[in-house]
Amino acid sequence: MTALGAPVKALGAPVKALGASATALGAAVLAAPVVVVVASLVEPSTDTWSHLWQTRLVEMLVSTAVLAVGVVAASLVVGTAAAWLVAAHDFPGRRLLGWLLALPLALPGYVSGFTWLDVTGRQGLVMAAVVLTASLYPYVYLLTLAAFREQSARTVEAARTLGCSRWRAWWRVVLPLARPSLAAGAALVAMEVLTDVGTVRLFDVTTVADGVFRVWFGLDDRDGAAELASVLVGAAVVMVTVERLARGRARFVQRGGRDTGVAARRVRGARGIAVAAGPVVLLLVALGVPLVRLVPWAWTTVAEGQGRTVSGGAVDHLLDSLLVVSLAVVVTVVAGTALALAGRPGRARAARVLARVATTGYAVPGPVVAIGVLVCVAWLEAQGWWPAGWALAGTLGVLVYALAVRYVAVAHAAVAASADKVPERVVEAARTLGSGPGAVALRVELPLVRPGVVVAAALVGIDVVKELPVTLLLRPFGVDTLPVWVWQATSDSRWEQAAVPGLLVAGLASVGVAVLLAALARGAEMVA
Amino acid sequence: MSRKGNLVAGAVVAVAGAVLAACGGGSSGDATGGSAGQVTVYLGRHYGIEQVFNAFTAETGIAVRFTTGRDPELRERLKTEGKNTPADVYLAADAANLELAATDGLLAPLGSTVVTTAVPAVLRDSQDLWTALSVRARTVMRAARVPDAEAPRSYAALGDARWKGKLCLRPATHPYTQSLVAALIADGGVAGAERTVRGWVANNPTYLDSDTKILEALADGTCDVAVTNTYYLLRARSEGKDLAQAVWITEGPGTHVNVSGAGIATHAPNPAGAKRLIEWLATTGQRPFADANFEEPAAASVAPRAEVAALGTYRRDPIAVERFGALQPEAVKLLDRAGHR
Repeated sequence: MTALGAPVKALGAPVKALGASATALGAAVLAAPVVVVVASLVEPSTDTWSHLWQTRLVEMLVSTAVLAVGVVAASLVVGTAAAWLVAAHDFPGRRLLGWLLALPLALPGYVSGFTWLDVTGRQGLVMAAVVLTASLYPYVYLLTLAAFREQSARTVEAARTLGCSRWRAWWRVVLPLARPSLAAGAALVAMEVLTDVGTVRLFDVTTVADGVFRVWFGLDDRDGAAELASVLVGAAVVMVTVERLARGRARFVQRGGRDTGVAARRVRGARGIAVAAGPVVLLLVALGVPLVRLVPWAWTTVAEGQGRTVSGGAVDHLLDSLLVVSLAVVVTVVAGTALALAGRPGRARAARVLARVATTGYAVPGPVVAIGVLVCVAWLEAQGWWPAGWALAGTLGVLVYALAVRYVAVAHAAVAASADKVPERVVEAARTLGSGPGAVALRVELPLVRPGVVVAAALVGIDVVKELPVTLLLRPFGVDTLPVWVWQATSDSRWEQAAVPGLLVAGLASVGVAVLLAALARGAEMVA
Repeated sequence: MSRKGNLVAGAVVAVAGAVLAACGGGSSGDATGGSAGQVTVYLGRHYGIEQVFNAFTAETGIAVRFTTGRDPELRERLKTEGKNTPADVYLAADAANLELAATDGLLAPLGSTVVTTAVPAVLRDSQDLWTALSVRARTVMRAARVPDAEAPRSYAALGDARWKGKLCLRPATHPYTQSLVAALIADGGVAGAERTVRGWVANNPTYLDSDTKILEALADGTCDVAVTNTYYLLRARSEGKDLAQAVWITEGPGTHVNVSGAGIATHAPNPAGAKRLIEWLATTGQRPFADANFEEPAAASVAPRAEVAALGTYRRDPIAVERFGALQPEAVKLLDRAGHR
């Protein structure tokens, strides 16, 4: 370490310049596909827009708004209630149920969707909202659970001493203190709803994201589709702004050493069972309904020897998924970490703006991101200096790049949550002691944000394991991930044969959920 | 040091790995190697196709590798890949997909007398940019409890008030519905087609985005009549489930048919191999290609398999299937206007 110190110090200034420009370049590369999509607005497809205006545009906007508001509200209620039960009550089976409550996150909506459809036979906005809430509430649950655990027990005690009932203390003190987590959870859920295509299509709900594909596939107007997709980017920008405003300037720093979290009240006997009943009922809905179909279907297909596809058996698909996920996680988390460190509070404003632009991919439906990436890649290949015969499209590199564009926002948010907690004076101290900015980033900041990096890796991993549209469009020959297998079965109307890959996706993603829960239990945070 | 060192080293190695994989990615996952004896297919249709390709490879020694995907996306990929595309053949279900590929300049002329001899002109592109390889009829299905004599004999008759609340349809987002309405436009003009579609909508149909689910809905009493492709019916029967009865369209121009087909990519690295594959599929390969999915062969000289023939002969709507492509946007707008989901 000391041997490295001197050269690193001497390199300080050039490294700083290099680091800054590398971050800027990286941010620009990540932002390019989304910019390409939004740029399509410059020359609007007036024909398509007037057709939409006369037919479905209002329906799309209204059902998107209703669905987003409904799912966000329901997720907030369900997620927060579940987190409060687990954080503040010591009931029988608390540990297991606390873990299981996060598990629906591992089940992709396009898998649970067709099981719900098969069980209930009902379509429509309400069913779509139920299914989406059942798979998205864990975001709110995890965030608020972490917030409740982080809160100082003394705050609640103070409120109780001042005469608040337990319930009133929760309503007036605990919940308001968790506001940043609630806002962040709401934003995550809203983004997922806005960009969802698979679930709404199954339940016959025409949202803006679904409209993007009606215009692209039906009217054969890709530019019109991109224009409609930029409505979603606009909505996301508004949402992030509202979230910042809702949080206000408050930084919610709690002082006084390590906090023990809200004290859990021991409940046993009939009361304990009553408290445990809440999570159990929720799990029966969110996990029980899908599994009651998936397990027998998987059993039958395996028994009939159909648990494999054109490209091979379950192991081949599993390995393909692991390959894509591991590369995507590494690249996305490295990019997200670099952006988060460059955009820390007190750093250059330009860096924060860049981070904001580079993370808009999360607001754009996957296939639109993929098209943006293809356009960028085609442009690159068309440049004279690009070696002829070196096709980029259809390579693993382009797929990983596109996944990073789509999910860097998630990694950035998680690392930034850790980075915001690193006091600037620690960095200043390191600088005063003679380290250059590059060395400080590597030796001081990176170790301090490690919990955030772990959370980022888990969250991105869960998302990429379940990811279908980008992978479907950009995957190299012979790389057929588990969701691609699900798609091959469902697009052929064979839901039963999608059960084996669907369960494997859930199994793989639940590893990410376990890592996430462990990191959060150690005090990491999910979003900035 | 060690921990951070490992972290950084790990990241560097992984990124380097990604870059290397990116450079070599084009041929990864494909054990056959050697592009001279290999044809690459962008595949929008995937019903038991691998056995067909295996038979081709066994006969010619030319390996086939393929990637599956949604048709509009595969076309988009072809378009942006341009001269660098690895694709030799674009193989799709639905004539509209093939025709849209042709209009976008993604296909090169086949220039094959083998194909023009085997496949009737009405099932090929008039510019020789693609050919059909199999034919599927999309016709009325009735539940077994509906007497044959009372079943609708035209697409317009599905709008008859007696089917109110008892009609099952595929949503407008699916190409099958779009091409059917494109055919209605070609046959009866926009106004006539719109009357027909409005008639369906007035019956408050149940929309199911799966032909198999539609047939199951006929069997379980949700619907009395519906429209599906016949091969879904035969596929279910082959699995021991007799869900419904097919009814041929005898009024008007006849039963709507669509095709699966293929063309050579404009920038195919191996156009000779591509031509060889398409010629083989249009002749020797007709049997397995059509049979695997209970479709009718496109080649006039090849008879359909027994189960298909058992549905009886019917009058095909004689419209050239290539017209579906140009009419598709019009059909989608019409469906939207009429309030079809």
